[in-house]
Amino acid sequence: MRKIAIYGKGGIGKSTTTQNTVAGLAEMGRKVMVVGCDPKADSTRLLLGGLAQRTVLDTLREEGEDIELNDIRKQGFKGTVCVESGGPEPGVGCAGRGIITSINMLEQLGAYSESEKLDYAFYDVLGDVVCGGFAMPIREGKAKEIYIVVSGEMMAMYAANNICKGIVKFAEAGGVRLGGLICNSRKVDNEQEMIIALADKIGTQMIHFVPRDNMVQKAEINRKTVIEFEPSHSQADEYRTLAKKIEENEMHVIPKPMAIEELESLLIAYGLAA
Amino acid sequence: MAAIHILQERKSQIYEKGTEPFAMTCEKHSLAGSVSQRACVFCGSRVVLYPIADALHLVHGPVGCAAYTWDIRGALSSGPELHRLSFSTDLREKDVIFGGEKKLYYALSELIETYSPKAAFVYSTCIVGIIGDDVGSVCKKVAEEKGIPVLPVHSEGFKGTKKDGYKAACSALFKLIGQKEDKSIGKYSLNILGEFNIGGEAWIIKNYYEQMGIRIVSVMTGDGRVDEIRRAHRASLNVVQCSGSMTHLAQMMKEKYGIPFIRVSYFGLEDMSDALYDVAKHFGDNPEIMERARNIVRNEINSIYPKLQEIRKSLQGKKAAVYVGGAFKAFSLIKALRYLGMDVVLAGSQTGNPEDYELLKEMCDEGTVIVDDANPLELSKYVIEKQADLIIGGVKERPIAYKMGIGFCDHNHERKIPLAGYIGMLNFAEEVRRSVTSPVWKFAPRKTGRQR
Repeated sequence: MRKIAIYGKGGIGKSTTTQNTVAGLAEMGRKVMVVGCDPKADSTRLLLGGLAQRTVLDTLREEGEDIELNDIRKQGFKGTVCVESGGPEPGVGCAGRGIITSINMLEQLGAYSESEKLDYAFYDVLGDVVCGGFAMPIREGKAKEIYIVVSGEMMAMYAANNICKGIVKFAEAGGVRLGGLICNSRKVDNEQEMIIALADKIGTQMIHFVPRDNMVQKAEINRKTVIEFEPSHSQADEYRTLAKKIEENEMHVIPKPMAIEELESLLIAYGLAA
Repeated sequence: MAAIHILQERKSQIYEKGTEPFAMTCEKHSLAGSVSQRACVFCGSRVVLYPIADALHLVHGPVGCAAYTWDIRGALSSGPELHRLSFSTDLREKDVIFGGEKKLYYALSELIETYSPKAAFVYSTCIVGIIGDDVGSVCKKVAEEKGIPVLPVHSEGFKGTKKDGYKAACSALFKLIGQKEDKSIGKYSLNILGEFNIGGEAWIIKNYYEQMGIRIVSVMTGDGRVDEIRRAHRASLNVVQCSGSMTHLAQMMKEKYGIPFIRVSYFGLEDMSDALYDVAKHFGDNPEIMERARNIVRNEINSIYPKLQEIRKSLQGKKAAVYVGGAFKAFSLIKALRYLGMDVVLAGSQTGNPEDYELLKEMCDEGTVIVDDANPLELSKYVIEKQADLIIGGVKERPIAYKMGIGFCDHNHERKIPLAGYIGMLNFAEEVRRSVTSPVWKFAPRKTGRQR
């Protein structure tokens, strides 16, 4: 089983990209589990067709520690296994501890065990890795592979670079590697070239450029991935391609994050000055 | 026996009088790897506020914080004993994740309904500081609903040292002070600060001052009562013992209410008498007060003097090691031990400041080891090297003494016999004699090398 964590700036499209890619993998016959690691618990909505998911932490709160695995996971599109970690309301408690508790609970309950016959487990993690809890999915023995969703907007690239700094720490201690950048286009000028250059500087690859298409929004309103909602649409093929590229990816590196000045000069070269 | 080594970084906090120019560092965080005898911020707050007997003490945190400080001081009360219970919100995994405010609200409301306390103190522990529960707003809400003061104590354990806990406790007390008026409190009145009534000491001291014609408005916090503390601002003087814990409060009261304070100690004949004379001097416009103070001192000393003389004979030339929380206690102990004919071979404290150590150095004999924030190994080392016959300290020093096969006297909160006042001096002398000359040491392997 490959365990993959998806990181990236808040609002960049991590959950959308993850679910569409997972749909692509499921179509290829792979068995995939998605673990949403965001207190908002909205990482599996498209795979579940909007079905309300009971989160791990809500279940823990309401029923105590006597939980069955089937209480907290649901079958989504083409047999995908969907889990939402959940967490506190904004402004109270500790969401980071929630992620830790929830992932430990999943392990204890055997969600990752051989008998589940999973090919992939995806962690979709809250945008800002604000504390140790949100790095839980990439600690030793957890995800070995990370993809960062990014766009050509400055703050998204800035966040991607920052996340790389975090990855370096865990890469040295636990063996997690960066698999590449996924560019989720915002139609910024020279976007593709800029992200390829960014990937190059960091020492990784732009694994795929996902063009912007309103079909994604249309499918989302209908609580579906593009692959399910409009399988013949060109955007569906983009996600299928991304899924295939991840499946075949063998480039796993320890990133080399850039100094902020270096990042800014890259933006000037490809963006404003070009 | 092989010599015990001192950690390199600790050497600047240890000084042997006479060996080198005096230079000691202190008031710093404990060294990693050195098992400090200090306690945490929360524990500091807990021990200061604990003796307030008609208040509810609720520890907001995992159950251990409350369990390990349950009845930690055993301070005596002449009335209610609510303080002897330890209440906890018992925060667990899910409370940490989802926040503990609701649990705190329900626990507080239920406890106040059940026990009808005069006030409630809510202690913040480490985890509460990390998850950011708004303890202040919950306290405010419950105070409004229940009509009693509900005071948050900001004592998150990681925030500093035990001393920061004392400060947090003082800040909570300060909020209570001034809440009640009492015009009947006249000029000849005082608050006793930093006396915790572990074995009934507050009652002894109160009795002396009352005999002098002075009204005791409040004791903070021994045998403490919420309403007394609320009108403490009406007193005209604060007498502060245990400088570490209560000086902060005395200073705040001086600034806000203009109440002057004097430092005192009630331990040993000399310091006890000064504590009475200094108060009498403060009220110098009434010579009767001084006259009464003199009478008390004369009568009290007369009644114990013959017994003390007898005890001195068996303690002559014996050696003592003193390691206590605040340096002020060490000063009094050194004087008292000298009075009993004993030599002090080690003197140290957990929280002393540069002036304290300067004074300690002045007081001590050549060859006495002075130590700041010691650990058990260092204490053992000097007890062996200096061939001490007795350790005076608290709960964490007791096993060191017994392992060395020498006497021990608790001068913290593990006792039921008062050591303050004149009668306390006699109790102290008797206890020290019993321990030092106990036949039990014949059967214990003595580690300090010297045979009796």
